[in-house]
Amino acid sequence: MWTSDPELSLEGIGIAAAPAPTRRWRVRAGAALDWVRQRITTTPGKLVLTSVLVVLGAVCFGVIATGAEQSRQRAVRAAQTGTEPLLVHAVNLYTALSDANATVATGLLAGGLEPPAKRARYLADLRVASQSLTALTREAGSSAGAAGALRTVANQLPVYSGLVETARANNRQHFPIGAAYLRQASGLLTNTMLPAAGRIYATEAQRLEDDYRTGTSNASLVALVVAVVVALGLLLVAQRFVARISRRILNVLMVLATVALVAVSAWAVIGLISEQNALAAAQRRGSDSVEMLSAANVLLSRAEGDLSLALVNRGTDVTDPQDFAKVKHALATTGLATRLGPAFPSYLAAAKRVQDLENGGQLGPAIAVSPAASTISDRVSADVRTRIAAAQERFTTNAADASSSLSGLDLAIPLITALAAVLVLLGLRQRINEYR
Amino acid sequence: MSRTPRYVIALLVAAAALAGCGTASDRALRTTLAALGTPPVESPSASKVTPATTCPHLTASLRPPATMPTPGSMPGGSYMAAIRRRGYLRAGVNAGLLDFGYLNPATGQIEGFEIDLVRRLAAAIFGDTSPAHYRLVALTVPQRIPFVQDGKVDVVVDAVTITCDRKEQVDFSTVYYDAQQRVLVPSNSSATSIASLIGQPVCASAQSAPIQIMNGLPAPPKPVGMPQAIDCLVALQQGTIPAISTDDSILLGFHAQDPNTKIIGSSLADVPYGMAINQAHPDFVRFVNGVLAELRANGTWRRLYGKWLGQLGSNPTIPAAQYDG
Repeated sequence: MWTSDPELSLEGIGIAAAPAPTRRWRVRAGAALDWVRQRITTTPGKLVLTSVLVVLGAVCFGVIATGAEQSRQRAVRAAQTGTEPLLVHAVNLYTALSDANATVATGLLAGGLEPPAKRARYLADLRVASQSLTALTREAGSSAGAAGALRTVANQLPVYSGLVETARANNRQHFPIGAAYLRQASGLLTNTMLPAAGRIYATEAQRLEDDYRTGTSNASLVALVVAVVVALGLLLVAQRFVARISRRILNVLMVLATVALVAVSAWAVIGLISEQNALAAAQRRGSDSVEMLSAANVLLSRAEGDLSLALVNRGTDVTDPQDFAKVKHALATTGLATRLGPAFPSYLAAAKRVQDLENGGQLGPAIAVSPAASTISDRVSADVRTRIAAAQERFTTNAADASSSLSGLDLAIPLITALAAVLVLLGLRQRINEYR
Repeated sequence: MSRTPRYVIALLVAAAALAGCGTASDRALRTTLAALGTPPVESPSASKVTPATTCPHLTASLRPPATMPTPGSMPGGSYMAAIRRRGYLRAGVNAGLLDFGYLNPATGQIEGFEIDLVRRLAAAIFGDTSPAHYRLVALTVPQRIPFVQDGKVDVVVDAVTITCDRKEQVDFSTVYYDAQQRVLVPSNSSATSIASLIGQPVCASAQSAPIQIMNGLPAPPKPVGMPQAIDCLVALQQGTIPAISTDDSILLGFHAQDPNTKIIGSSLADVPYGMAINQAHPDFVRFVNGVLAELRANGTWRRLYGKWLGQLGSNPTIPAAQYDG
């Protein structure tokens, strides 16, 4: 550890600790050590070595602090403009596909005349899915795992919409085969496209998670604090040494260097801490909410799709009611049900009325009351979407705060550190020159 | 300066504590992945088809009463009287079989040949044709027998094939429709019967009797099972299978939905449909058989056939009633 004796600290820093694997090396190292020992016995020699060490400490500080700041800044920028927007695209893709499926099933329930609002919503979902797919494909090069999944969704989307249109055409003529086409479309979506969209989502969510980890990693902060302590420690030890040999209490230039270093250190530490707090808030209050609310919304669409598909299939399919129960269970166990807001229980109640009638074989009445469930589901979903938008807003604000917490540091750290080093050199040169 | 290490430690601790305020947590990620990863419920896969058992007098049922009760006044203590007291007959029907039992999206009503039979049954009990006197319960295939056994419906008129296994679980009326297993192909197909399709994929509902029948042919095709018969029509339209073989009652509905198809060849098998009734109510079985006998005798059966199923042939053979008790 650091002691008041500069000679001991010199030995401690490295020369004596240099490895000496062979005898010849040991001889050379011994010779070098002797040379240094001779030099540091003289006061000017001690002053030169002190300046070398202090400048080295400052440079180390500059490099480490810049490194810490850069890695944080890169992570924040990546989250802000790269991974989080991509995650939103991945979430939108998943949500749009799953909403399209529920919407088309509910629309076909109404018989040959699909409600125009349902048709418009289905088309809007397809549009969002294509746009998200395009945006994600542009970035797919950076995540090979997602590329295959993106291809799957891109290849199947036209097939899916083709099946849906065939279902609609048949349904308009009141043909039961319309339901079979819809079942095939839904199967393609559920068994192939959504799992692929899920892989894309998982990849993008993991990338954002990695940026959060880097952007809030304690290692950067600890490295910075260690560098600050070392650099300032060296500077203080050097000043004490200079004060002792020159019998002057203050070396003005070195004091100025200390002030500069303290200032830039404080700026850097405060900057990094407020950056990581802002980024953590961007995650906790922003993107985490986007993810959780979207997942809840997706499960709600799936439940609504199951409810409608069971009715579209006219009681010939037993899997949809089972899937509905499974989704309801998943919403409860993951705690996502609470995120759907206070209207969700009334959706479940409305859905139960539909299912009770259906289970009792009252298919016509079940279809007649199903719009009530659908209306509540639409309301819940609209509310969730509003909250997703608000969460995204919170992410944007906090991520911008995180980024601006670091602004200026990228220039300030190297410049002020260099300034401090120059001040130290100037300050010590005055003393060294006194011995010439 | 000897206190420096403590300052260092204090600084590091403070930094770590401050840093702890804002670190990443993947709780949301884990939750969303768990939620989105909820696997979909798979369609039941085609399980092993159990070989058909045989039994004597498969289609024989209980003899009708010597004199049928007058509609509107059922004998005291009979099951019909219980239905009358309730005010309506509960009938399990199909909602997805065009022309037999199908929920018409235009009207929101289930309609078809079997539904008209239910109406006649209700009229025979209540003495008038008011729709208030019957309630239709749309059933899935697995629900049909349990609903009868549990007394949730009085009768199931839902294209239930009379089999020896089912006869042990419920009573059947006499045969009200004798379906024939036939073959549906695209209208430009050169196939003329199932014999033209040796070794070719022919579709039917998975784990169904038609697949067994095809496998038992001397020159069998290669049967392909789909979750539901209508999925076979989708496959036919998409060109992935060249033919479908199942009950003509179902094929008729397929042809109605796609005029680019034709029904070919003679019957591969007799598929007798009976009304399923709880074994605790033999008096109701006899009554239903009496109603069916009247419908056969007074031309109603033929009229209803013409109304719904005329495309199958203009001169249907009325399924003869067989009695054994």
